[in-house]
Amino acid sequence: CKKLDLVPTDKFTEANYWSSPEKAAIVLNTAYSQMFNNDRFFYNEGLSDNAYAGRGDQQGVTSIASGVADASLARFREEWGDRYAGIKTCHIFLENVDKVPGFDENLKNRMKAEARFLRAFQYFQLYTWYGDVPLFEKDLSVTEAKSISRTPRAQVLQFVLNELDAVASILPANAQYPAADRGRITKGAAIALKARVLLFENRWQDVIDVTEQLINSNTNGNYGLFTSYEGLFLPQNEFNQEVIFDLQYVPDLKYHENFFDLAPLSVGARVNSMAPTQELVDDYIMLNGKSIREAGSGYNENDPYNNRDPRLTATVVYHNYKWKKPDGSTQTIYIQPGTDPDQDKKPDEYAPGAASSPTGYYMRKYYDPTSTVNFRSGLNLILIRYADILLMYAEAKNELDQMTADVWNKTIRPIRVRAGFSESAALDFNAALTQEQLQQIIRRERRSELAMEGLRIFDIRRWKTAEDVLNGWAHGARYGEPTIDNGYIRANQRSFDKNKHYLWAVPRDERNLNPNLSQNDNW
Amino acid sequence: QANPPNEPNPVGFQNTRISLVCKDKDLKWIIASLEKKTGLLFVYSNDELNLSAKASCKVKDAALQDALQQIFDPLHIRFEMAGKNVLLRKAPATTLRGETIAAGNPMQEIRGRVVDEAGNPVQGATVQVKGSQLVTTTNATGEFLISTADEKLVLVISFVGYLSEEISVTDNKPVLVRLKPSNQQLGEVVVVGYGTQRKVSVTGAVDQVKVTEMAGRPVTNLSQSLQGMSPNLIIQQPNAEPGARINMNIRGIGTLGDNSPLVVIDGLVGGDINLLNPSDIESISVLKDAGSAAIYGSRSSNGVVLITTKKGKKNEKASVTYNGMVGIQKPHVWYKPVESFENAILRNQAMVNSDLQPIYSPEQIRQFQREGSKEWFLDEILRDALQQNHNISVSGGNDKTTYLLSGGYVNQENNLVGPGLGLKRYNFRMNLSTEAGRLKLTGVLAYARNETKDHSYNTSTLIVDAGRTPTYYSQKDEQGRYLTNEVLGEFNPLGILEKGGYRKYDDDNVFANLTAELSIMRGLKIRGVVGGTLAANHVFERVKQVNFFPKGIYGADRNTNDRYDKNLFLNTQLLLEYMRGFGDHNVNALIGFANESSTNQQSKIYMKNTDPDLGTPITETIIDPSQTQNSNKGNVESSLNSVFGRAGYSYNDKYFAEFNFRFDGSSKFRKDLRWGFFPAVAIGYRITEEAFMDSYRDKFGNLKLRASYGILGNQNVNNYQFQTTYDVFNNAYGFNNQGVSGTRFTFANPDLKWERAATFNAGVDATFLKNTLQVSFDYFNKLTSDILIQPAVTGVYGGKVADYNAGKVRNQGWELSVSYRLAGRDLEQTFGFNIADTRNEVVYFDGNERITSADEMQMILKEGLPFNSYIGLKRDGYFQNLDEILNGAVPTGLNVRPGDIRYVNRNKDGVIDDQDKFVLGNPFPRYTFGFNYNVRYKNFDLALFVQGVGKRDMFLRGELVEPFHFNYSQVMYQHQLDFWTPVNPNAKFPRLAAAGSESNTNNFRRGSDLYLFDAAYARLKNVQIGYSIPAHLLQKAGLRKARVYLTGQNLLTFSGLDFVDPELSEFDNSLKNSGANSGRAYPTPIYFGVGLDITF
Repeated sequence: CKKLDLVPTDKFTEANYWSSPEKAAIVLNTAYSQMFNNDRFFYNEGLSDNAYAGRGDQQGVTSIASGVADASLARFREEWGDRYAGIKTCHIFLENVDKVPGFDENLKNRMKAEARFLRAFQYFQLYTWYGDVPLFEKDLSVTEAKSISRTPRAQVLQFVLNELDAVASILPANAQYPAADRGRITKGAAIALKARVLLFENRWQDVIDVTEQLINSNTNGNYGLFTSYEGLFLPQNEFNQEVIFDLQYVPDLKYHENFFDLAPLSVGARVNSMAPTQELVDDYIMLNGKSIREAGSGYNENDPYNNRDPRLTATVVYHNYKWKKPDGSTQTIYIQPGTDPDQDKKPDEYAPGAASSPTGYYMRKYYDPTSTVNFRSGLNLILIRYADILLMYAEAKNELDQMTADVWNKTIRPIRVRAGFSESAALDFNAALTQEQLQQIIRRERRSELAMEGLRIFDIRRWKTAEDVLNGWAHGARYGEPTIDNGYIRANQRSFDKNKHYLWAVPRDERNLNPNLSQNDNW
Repeated sequence: QANPPNEPNPVGFQNTRISLVCKDKDLKWIIASLEKKTGLLFVYSNDELNLSAKASCKVKDAALQDALQQIFDPLHIRFEMAGKNVLLRKAPATTLRGETIAAGNPMQEIRGRVVDEAGNPVQGATVQVKGSQLVTTTNATGEFLISTADEKLVLVISFVGYLSEEISVTDNKPVLVRLKPSNQQLGEVVVVGYGTQRKVSVTGAVDQVKVTEMAGRPVTNLSQSLQGMSPNLIIQQPNAEPGARINMNIRGIGTLGDNSPLVVIDGLVGGDINLLNPSDIESISVLKDAGSAAIYGSRSSNGVVLITTKKGKKNEKASVTYNGMVGIQKPHVWYKPVESFENAILRNQAMVNSDLQPIYSPEQIRQFQREGSKEWFLDEILRDALQQNHNISVSGGNDKTTYLLSGGYVNQENNLVGPGLGLKRYNFRMNLSTEAGRLKLTGVLAYARNETKDHSYNTSTLIVDAGRTPTYYSQKDEQGRYLTNEVLGEFNPLGILEKGGYRKYDDDNVFANLTAELSIMRGLKIRGVVGGTLAANHVFERVKQVNFFPKGIYGADRNTNDRYDKNLFLNTQLLLEYMRGFGDHNVNALIGFANESSTNQQSKIYMKNTDPDLGTPITETIIDPSQTQNSNKGNVESSLNSVFGRAGYSYNDKYFAEFNFRFDGSSKFRKDLRWGFFPAVAIGYRITEEAFMDSYRDKFGNLKLRASYGILGNQNVNNYQFQTTYDVFNNAYGFNNQGVSGTRFTFANPDLKWERAATFNAGVDATFLKNTLQVSFDYFNKLTSDILIQPAVTGVYGGKVADYNAGKVRNQGWELSVSYRLAGRDLEQTFGFNIADTRNEVVYFDGNERITSADEMQMILKEGLPFNSYIGLKRDGYFQNLDEILNGAVPTGLNVRPGDIRYVNRNKDGVIDDQDKFVLGNPFPRYTFGFNYNVRYKNFDLALFVQGVGKRDMFLRGELVEPFHFNYSQVMYQHQLDFWTPVNPNAKFPRLAAAGSESNTNNFRRGSDLYLFDAAYARLKNVQIGYSIPAHLLQKAGLRKARVYLTGQNLLTFSGLDFVDPELSEFDNSLKNSGANSGRAYPTPIYFGVGLDITF
């Protein structure tokens, strides 16, 4: 006979869990792990005009981008649920950590601040997608969670800003952490996130004030541009001075393998699930600093990838691309139909409906040459980097019509120098440009610099340009029917309703359970 | 052989002639006289021969041999001459009770054999010479021998449960008597919880499965053979792969979680029904209502299946039985691709219809047409497979001890190609029972070993990917390279099956049970049971690297993995039982105490990059820390203490009343909510026993009314849920490129308590046409409350919660079974038919509704609807022209074209959206039925078994519905050719359009009734044609029984659904949809085989 009072022997219970700082720290680790995930990091680009996710409906981005999603879309439910799951973990940590005996006060306060940052990050993501969202600062019961209503967006925003201010004053700067803690939230991360929050609100002066805390001073962390744009995304350069806030991955143990469906097929990918669009490629400027459609740019539609912004090569794989293999040798990627010397295989060539890219482009940025089987990679994914801070600063200055050679030389110029531009026409400030022209240049710079890093969708939403760039066809390279769209492949038809799509739908299931949840307009 | 010297020649003795006349002398006197007269020595055992038995003899001047025969045969003593000795033995199991032998007439011997309707020998039947006291009984082979002086006489043969037969004997040829079962059922015994009951006194809804009708079916496990055998015992299979799981359900969906019935094997809970050897089964009872199941208390609400295994019989000579069957399983894929060139044309059409470039040039299409279709990958990875079943058993017993030993072997090859894939099962059983005075001991020891060899990938992906590839490509070239292509760029199913490694399961299962029963006084017995199941399961997995050409690698990790699983289930019971009759009053009572406990543990070792040949660790080998675990991880324990009992009363076999209860305490609930009480009452009334019904009884037959009401329980929830748990796991995140742990927490529900089902059952048993037609009907109504379910939790809550007592479901239905027997001397036919229905309705669900999605389709759990009803849009034909589109409602953001589906705009708001969903159907099968027909003509027999479902909505999706599904599939199947075109406006499917187009988004990305199909079917499950060797030939060969037969399984299916097996279910036992359903299912094979049954 076995007694009836049984306790699990491989799990802790409430009675014995909160007994050591180590176990408490494990809960905080969980909150970190819930911050984001690599699938959304990569596929969110497909929400924007930068990429088209053509196989399946990865993370719902194809439905959303083409405007056919409704409130029952899984992505709406999952994004919502996952964010609140992360918030719950933060609350569990914050509400129980004081029970733990023998916890060093400083360490405990730092960890609480980390948890508060993570919670603020989750709320930031939530209101960015959904607008008004339920805001609460303690763990909810099942019943409370069924009747809570949405807090006005402004209030959630204010909570996030307040929290970020509070934790920035507690958290150590990047240099103050021991090496073993690299990857934790720093003071600089809190400030940088605050800058992004303000940027999304178009609060330009605040953006300037906050970014200056990182640009003009080392007390909030040592940051600067990394020497090489390509190297920024390579595993040997993780934790470099440009990284302010990134998602941590560990080779073989905690990894992502999205490149299995993103890289050219000839280098080992399975299929292509998402590919850059012609619209993105077209926005990369020429080495002379001119956009391709500008007079005197030297752009040749028949040799489109020549003399272009070097970041194009670091980001996008195009026809005749010289793919650098891990052993240092190169391999040519043949995409234009009929060009592959081996016409029996031609895995990367564009063909309608094939497993290859539906746009004639593949992704390069974040390819990890040290990745193992199926592109398994432990490469960290950067959420905020210093170049972004500089671009925010430049954009805010220009919006307030304060763009000067001085500001330009602190921001756009070093970014372009680092990118590999050398012609002065590309590097020097042109005082003759209007504020509006500068706005276009800065926005284009932002797109090129940060392409395929999951930020474009937020930019077109805050600029309110989504209705322009997400309506009509997303195109691929010029391998299509010559009479249609000048031969550029029609990859995906999109539709964006400005009265509806700037906010996501509150998930249908969530509203079924909670009658107090209202819906966004027109959903 | 040579005789020793100096011995007299034995031939001399045989020439001796003797005389012996006596009257009423005992055997001892006769033997002594014979010894004196002949000088022979008679050898015998005092235990075997009754020396004081009186006999008379009248032998005059007879040869020795004849004389001895005349003397001993009537005494049923066999003699054997061996030199100077005569060995005397009791003739096997025939006893002569009569003592009078008419003197004067010459004695004649009547030999005969008694068999049942199936031709099996009947042991222990009474054979009496009509009008005399002369009686004998049949032996284990059904034979009897009776000596009488009468030349013409009538034999009366009777046996419990059968109609008495009278046979006139006019010569001394052997007689064959075939007994027909009596429908009085007075003697028939039914296995019920913790005991047996006479069938006549059963008051609950207990169905005794006719085990004999399951014989000869080429199934590999018992669950499969139960399909269609008992009304509302619903067996469904999501796929037919060897070793695949099987859903078993009694009376529908009563709860919202696991609906599996409780299975009790030889009195113990916890055995695995699918590891039993079907040949070992003696009886199966299905307990459906509270009256019969309440004694199993907390786990009975889904019904109980009681299985007992065969035992030896007392005073039975050892008999050896062999049953064997060998056959071929032919895979049958219902859907077929169109020809390669047609596929290319259709693909182009889909692209052009969506304003995209065609994919194939006219030249390519001409080339496809010239070359013809290549072999479809799915056909190429399937093959015919052998299946064999062999069983042998030996059983017998003396007057104290009985034994049964059996061995079984099943070998079912997998229909997938690949080296040696398939299932093998070895069964061994030893059932012993012995009596020592008032103590009776029974021991059961059964061992089963299941060995399954599987490929290293997953079958559904192999099948779906092979099926999705158009027939332009080859899977393997002349150099033996496995090829990849534009559709399967990284993946070659044939290569994975043939070279990609394997998973080997070896599962050992020991079932042991020791029961001691002591008779204390008349009617009172005490019984102790100790037993349990020890399951030790192991999987060894090797993933081997296969390089495809021109690109693609399978198994680059070269994993070598081991998983061990050990599960000990212990059961102890103490029961006190009282049963006694007082005149017309019969009472019985039972009280018992039991504990059941289970302990599970598992350990796993996962290694990557092992040696490509041996799978052993080498330099680059790493242990995968996310998978590897010691046995203290995944260790789960539970325990259940119980008191249970029964009290029954009956009067004159006319009125019956019974009370059952169980009081259970479970470790799954907190201390003060731990105990649950589950009572039930049942009554029965055999109305035709009343005097006023005499004329009815004579005209029609018997009629019995039954009713029961009670509370049943359910504790099918995970352990430890009343406590909040923190489960720590490694590598949740990393800092500085070092993995760090995380924790999953599950919040407790301290208020968790029993689920309770109040169940009412009413039934009628009636017989007609002199008991040849039997009809039973049951109606039930079950209301399950406090249903244990994870409540619908908002995303805002942010975490996992334990189960709550959060639902209420009503389940109603009925069962009808009819059997009819048409017996004749040479021709005999039996018909059996059963049909049942069950409907459930969610009466209450905390949280009002919960919607779960399985791909495009959604299922709703909502008050007032059947559990997990399908919801979605309803089609209203197609948009036939632009005007209809302009005036019609379409999903927001979509531009549709003529030929696209038009949906019903339910709320008339001009837009198709979530508000327009309808409840579309119900996935649970209704009107499930089984039909058996058996006919015997002389030595030939034929058996047909048809099984089916009268109503079911089947959800199919993916490539089976959508041509060129999402570009994952690049195939169009033949059944999809009926698509919309301007000249085919009422097609089955919408117009062709490219993957990702707005048309396809409208037509296929919306859950609608397009995806629901009527899966009603009737299937000829089994056909057997047999021939039994006639008795006179058998005797020559020393056999008691021999039958050869042809058997076929799944030969014919009648269904409106013609491109997928309608029998396959997309659900598990909880009606959870795994999403990937029948289109990916391993094909249900058609089986043809031969079988042999021999007894000697």
